[in-house]
Amino acid sequence: MKRVLLLIAVAVIALSATGMFSTGNTAFALSSEDDFQTVTDRGVLRVGMEAGYAPYNYRQTTDTNGAVAISNQNGEFANGYDVKVAKYIAEQMGVTLEVYALEWDSLINALNAGTIDSIIAGMSPTEERKKSIDFSDKYYESNLVIVVRKDGKYKDATQLDDFQGANIVAQRGTFHVDALSQIRTVTDAEQYDTFALMITALKSNVIDGYVAEEPGAIADCAANSELTYIQLKNNENGFTASEGDTQLAVGLRKNSSLTSRINAILATLDEDARAVMMQEAIDQQPVESVELGFFGNVAYIIGKYWTKILEGVGTTVLVSIIGTLAGMVIGLLVGFVRTLPEARTKAGKIWQKIYNFLLSAYVEIFRGTPMMVQAMVIYWGYALVNNGVTMNTFVAGLLIVSINTGAYIAEIVRGGINSLDKGQFEGAFAIGMTHRQTMSCVILPQTIRNILPAVSNEFVINIKDTSVLSVLAGFIDLFAVGNIIILGTYRTFEAYLIISVVYFILTFSITRLLRLLERKLNGKANYSLYNSDIVSETPATAKGGIIND
Amino acid sequence: MTDAILTVNNLTKNYGDNHILKGICMTVGKGEVISVIGASGSGKSTMLRCLNLLEKPTGGEILYHGNNIQDKKFDVHRYRAEVGMVFQNFNLFDNMTALQNCCVGQIKVLKRNKHQAREVAMKYLDKVGMTQYINARPSQLSGGQKQRVAIARALCMNPEVILFDEPTSALDPEMVGEVLAVMTDLARSGLTMIVVTHEMAFARDVSTRVVFMDNGVIAEEGSPDVIFTNPSEQRTRQFLARVL
Repeated sequence: MKRVLLLIAVAVIALSATGMFSTGNTAFALSSEDDFQTVTDRGVLRVGMEAGYAPYNYRQTTDTNGAVAISNQNGEFANGYDVKVAKYIAEQMGVTLEVYALEWDSLINALNAGTIDSIIAGMSPTEERKKSIDFSDKYYESNLVIVVRKDGKYKDATQLDDFQGANIVAQRGTFHVDALSQIRTVTDAEQYDTFALMITALKSNVIDGYVAEEPGAIADCAANSELTYIQLKNNENGFTASEGDTQLAVGLRKNSSLTSRINAILATLDEDARAVMMQEAIDQQPVESVELGFFGNVAYIIGKYWTKILEGVGTTVLVSIIGTLAGMVIGLLVGFVRTLPEARTKAGKIWQKIYNFLLSAYVEIFRGTPMMVQAMVIYWGYALVNNGVTMNTFVAGLLIVSINTGAYIAEIVRGGINSLDKGQFEGAFAIGMTHRQTMSCVILPQTIRNILPAVSNEFVINIKDTSVLSVLAGFIDLFAVGNIIILGTYRTFEAYLIISVVYFILTFSITRLLRLLERKLNGKANYSLYNSDIVSETPATAKGGIIND
Repeated sequence: MTDAILTVNNLTKNYGDNHILKGICMTVGKGEVISVIGASGSGKSTMLRCLNLLEKPTGGEILYHGNNIQDKKFDVHRYRAEVGMVFQNFNLFDNMTALQNCCVGQIKVLKRNKHQAREVAMKYLDKVGMTQYINARPSQLSGGQKQRVAIARALCMNPEVILFDEPTSALDPEMVGEVLAVMTDLARSGLTMIVVTHEMAFARDVSTRVVFMDNGVIAEEGSPDVIFTNPSEQRTRQFLARVL
């Protein structure tokens, strides 16, 4: 009996260990005990944040007010309370600060993969997060409040009970959601991904308000004159929130040697100093209270961001073109290999079976999974394998689009080859051409011409679908530029409208260009009769000439 | 026959349980023009396609100047260049002009340079009366014109023998004449030819030997005179009575 219990215990431990590993909770190959040593040796502290959660962290386009350049996004600067704290910590350690802008949901991944050394992103040390990472002592504590319209129904609310029946929402993945569930049932529909979206929703009367932490609320109201917030004291007239939720702390790897150092440094930063930093962060936030009406807003955005938009267009078009071309090469190669004649020898046959299986697996897997998921797997897989060194996001984007497109075009090529008359192969074989010669001279040129409409289609799809690669932080394509504009202006509708118009112009003009190319590849509609001294007969008499020999 | 170009011994071909060729024996000598006749489904085309390995024989052997063409060391590509083939459906390369169709094999397989290839191509395109159309693509030519280019393409490889697989069957009646005229011309110039055909006049007037196939075997062969005027087999008589 004892033995059975022991076995079960071992099994449970083994299972939970693998479970923990798969969610990234356990220490990975790289040892977090050396974190401090690594940071001091490198002379650089890498800090991850969203750079989109004012006033804790926000972005600006210059380095004024002591903003720090975002290392993975060219020409963008981060500032805010988190940045000020991070600078203070780095200074005290005697190292330089590098800021990485990452999606909220990838912060913990990036930390565990070793891409960053710490998270200073207005993150609260919740019990759930503590399973994955460690936290320092708090570096800020705030109240939960609700942001509402100045002219709305709830502008005079004073306590949480006043919000019964109101359509209040909260940011997904935060403890705000748990807090919100104290006054209403929170389904997916009540959870938004960014504060910019919630502000837009509130301004367009989609919602009645949203949960925010007081400094964030102050910043949002400063940038949006029609908004105000209802001050609620946690555990008194407001939400019941634990300290672990309302406090902010630095996120660190499990058992990191950085934790104690950072705690020592934070201890030297007293309440008053923190208050001063927060006030600065709120005051320095680049307020773009754009209230110019629809057309004014559009003009303002274009005027201010047109270089960024062009950059985004460049990235989008470049990645789509190269990705489609590379995908076409991959597709043609796969098509070539898959139509090879059956090998003559036994070893050849086995080898042929293996690579045909591998190619089918490639096509099926990459057609059968979303590109966004592939991007995440490849990008973070690479970082895990290489001890936190991430791929250049542009290269990663190119790679993913190419491999993905290759899988689709391989199938298009297969169809293209199958649709050719078998006689084209036979005609070539009958004059002694090898498979390679047959493919390169006869089959592939015709296949390429036949599949061009389908490949054009892939190209247009790629232009649009590269937008999913914005999950790779630092991949600034047209869609990501849209998000940057929103973070800076809070003009969600106008920004996406402009971006969609640019997308349409791109796809429309590219479709027309490809149509021209198709027409060119079809060859001349007419041919000229060849005149020589040998033949001056019409074809009808040429026939007669041979018969009457 | 010691100077046989091709010797076929007991050639068989099955598709699963479907026996198409049931033991073909045949020799092809230099300068012979052999017409292969017989009802549809008798295995004529399959036999011809086995000769240059577009179909893989199930059994038997095919010797080219005494060498087994199914031998692993046998250079199939070289062999196919020496044994030309003209198809019922022309099989011209749709992505090339008439001239390019005639040059590509010379350049890729025979390793001739572009200049030589063009010269040879022009010679044979002239022979089939297609010089004017060297810049036309197959889609711009009539069936008869395509087949004449296809014949020129085969000739450009300077083959020792050309296999014709029903070369006029896909043509409109008024175009059959121009293609047969070219083939007659070739036969008289001494080219070795094996012609699977339904053109009985061609078989009778041009060929040196007629092979009558029935149900996967060679039922009877002989000179055109004997086959057409005094066949010994009952089924030959029946077939000829149907088609003549």
